[in-house]
Amino acid sequence: MRPLDWAVLLAALAGIVAYGLWKGRRTRDLDDFLVADRRMRWHHVALSIMATQASAITFLSTPGQGFTDGMRFVQFYLGLPVAMVVLSLTAVPIYRRLKVYTAYEYLEGRFDLKTRTLAAGLFLLQRGLSTGVSIYAPSVILSVIMGWDIRAVIFLIGGSVTLYTATGGARAVDNTNFQQFLIIMGGMLVAFFTIIWTLPADVSFVEAVSVAGKLGRLNAMDFSFDLKNQYNFWSGLVGGCFLALSYFGTDQSQVQRYLTGESVTQSRLGLLFNGLVKVPMQFFILFLGAMVFAFYQFTAPPVFFNPVEVERVRAGAQGAQFRALEEEYGAAFAEKERAARAYVGALRAGDDGAADAAALGLKSAQERADGVRAGAVELLREPGKRRPDDTNYVFLNFVIHYLPAGVVGLVFAAVFFASMSSSASALNALASTTVVDVQRRLVTGDRGERYHFLSSKLAAVFWGLFAITFAQYAGQLGSLIEAVNRLGSLFYGTILGIFLLGFYFKRVGGTAAFTGAVLGELAVLGCFFFTEIAFLWYNVVGALVVVATALAINPLVGGKAEDSRQ
Amino acid sequence: MKDETAKSPPAEEPPPFGSSWNVLYALVLAWLAAQVVLFYLFTRAFR
Repeated sequence: MRPLDWAVLLAALAGIVAYGLWKGRRTRDLDDFLVADRRMRWHHVALSIMATQASAITFLSTPGQGFTDGMRFVQFYLGLPVAMVVLSLTAVPIYRRLKVYTAYEYLEGRFDLKTRTLAAGLFLLQRGLSTGVSIYAPSVILSVIMGWDIRAVIFLIGGSVTLYTATGGARAVDNTNFQQFLIIMGGMLVAFFTIIWTLPADVSFVEAVSVAGKLGRLNAMDFSFDLKNQYNFWSGLVGGCFLALSYFGTDQSQVQRYLTGESVTQSRLGLLFNGLVKVPMQFFILFLGAMVFAFYQFTAPPVFFNPVEVERVRAGAQGAQFRALEEEYGAAFAEKERAARAYVGALRAGDDGAADAAALGLKSAQERADGVRAGAVELLREPGKRRPDDTNYVFLNFVIHYLPAGVVGLVFAAVFFASMSSSASALNALASTTVVDVQRRLVTGDRGERYHFLSSKLAAVFWGLFAITFAQYAGQLGSLIEAVNRLGSLFYGTILGIFLLGFYFKRVGGTAAFTGAVLGELAVLGCFFFTEIAFLWYNVVGALVVVATALAINPLVGGKAEDSRQ
Repeated sequence: MKDETAKSPPAEEPPPFGSSWNVLYALVLAWLAAQVVLFYLFTRAFR
C-alpha cells in the first residue's frame, strides 16, 4: 500500500474507535449498555442491522462469487424481505411490549426455564465461536494478500472492537455500525466506479457487461426447482425466508439491534428498510464481482488469486509444471481476449450473426482457460486436503493491483469496518445473554443495577478475549472452521421452531416445545449427515419438525398449563 | 414474566409515512416481486 492508503486506513480505524468511545461515554446503566436506553431512530436501527449481518467475508467473498460463479447468489436473499414483514408484524410488538433485554427471556415467560436456557446456550455456543471466525477469516486474507502478521491483524480488529463495545455497549455499537456501514458502502461504490474507469478505452461499460453475460456471470435468476441446488428462486425464497426469520427474529446479535429502537415504529421501520435495500445491495456487490470478471477478459489475470499458494507451489517440486501451466493460461487468455474483442466489434457493428459466432468462440476460449486453471489448481492441492479456493482473494487482489492510491486504503478500511461491525454486535449480544440469561437468572439472582451493569462490561471483555484467542488458533483447526461456519445453519431452524410455537401456537407448553426442539435438531443433523439437501432447506426442516412434533405430543404431555410459568 | 402474547395487542401507532402498516408491508413485498421480475429480465437480456 502507498502512503496515502495507509493514511486513509489508519485515520479511519483511529477515527471509528475514538467515535465509539465518545458516543459510549454516557453509558451509565444496564438499560443503556444493553439496549442504548431504547432511544435509537429507525435509520440507526436499519444500518446497524445491515452492518451486523454484513461481515468482512460478505464484502470479500461476494464479489469473488460474482467473479467465479456469477450472480445467482443474490437469490439467497429473496426470502429476507418477507421475513422482515413477518417479524415487524409479530416479534417486534411482542419483544417491545415485554421490554425484554434478550429474545430468550421471552421463552421463559411463554414456555419454561429449560427452553430459555437451551436457546440461550445454543446462541452462546454458536455466536461465541463464529465471532472468532469472523475476525479470523478476513485477517487471514489480509495477511496473505498484504504479507501482514495475522496475529497483529486479529489483535487490531478484536482489540479495538472490544475496547469500544465494553466501554459504551449498545449505544457505541449502534452508532459505530451506522458510520461504518456508510463508509463500507461508500468504499464499494468508489471501487465499482473505479472498475468501470479501468476498463480498456475501446470497450464501453455496456459491452463489458455483455461479455460477462455471455460467459454466464449475470445469471441472477433461476426458477428451476432442485433441493440440491444452493441458490435458486425456491431455495432463496422459502429456505432464505426461514433462515432470515431465525437470524433476525431469534439471534440476539440482531434482536438487540431493533430492541434499541425508541418505539415499535422505529424498530419496524429499521427492519422494513433492511427488507427494501438488502437485495439490491447484494445484487450490486455481485455485479461488482461480475465487472471484475469483465475487466479480466481484457487484462491478463493470475492463474490463481492467492499469492502465497502460488509461491508455495512455484518453489516446490512441481514448480516447473506449474510455470508451464501459467504460460499456457497466458496463451489461453490471449485467445480469449481476441474472441472478446471480436464479440465487442460485432456488437458495435450491429451484426447479430457475427456476434453469435464470436460469442461461441468466446465461450470456447473461456472453457480452454478454465481447463488450464483447473489443472493449476490441482497442482496447488496438498495431499489429503480439499481443492484450494481463491474466491475470497479475487477482489482484494484486484484492488491492490489496479485501484488508485487512496481508494485502496478506503476499500481496506471498509473490510476492517465490516469485520468490526459484525463482531461488535456479537460481543454486545453475547454480553447481554451471559448476564441476563445466565448470571442474573441462573447464578447470582438479581444483585442490583450497578452489579449487572459492571458484569456486562466484564462479559464483553471476556467474549472479546475469547474471540481473539479462538481467532489466533483458528488456522490450526482445519475443517473445524468449516463446521463452525455451518453451526448456525444447524441450529437456526430448531430455534425458529421454538419461537414459532411461542408466537403462533398458544396452547403448546414447555415440555412439548422442548421435545419438539430435540427431535427437530435430530432431523436437521440427519439431513446434514445423510442427505445432499442444500443447507438453506435445513432451516425449513428444523422449524417444521419442531412445530409438528410439539403439536402432536402437546395433548399427551398435558399442554401449556403443565409447566408454563403463567 | 407473564405470557403477554395472549393479551390483545394495544392500539398501534401509525407509520410516519403511508396510510397504514399494511400499506408499508405491501410496498416491501411489491418491491420484492418487482426485483424478481427485473432480475429475470436482466438474466434473459444478457444470457
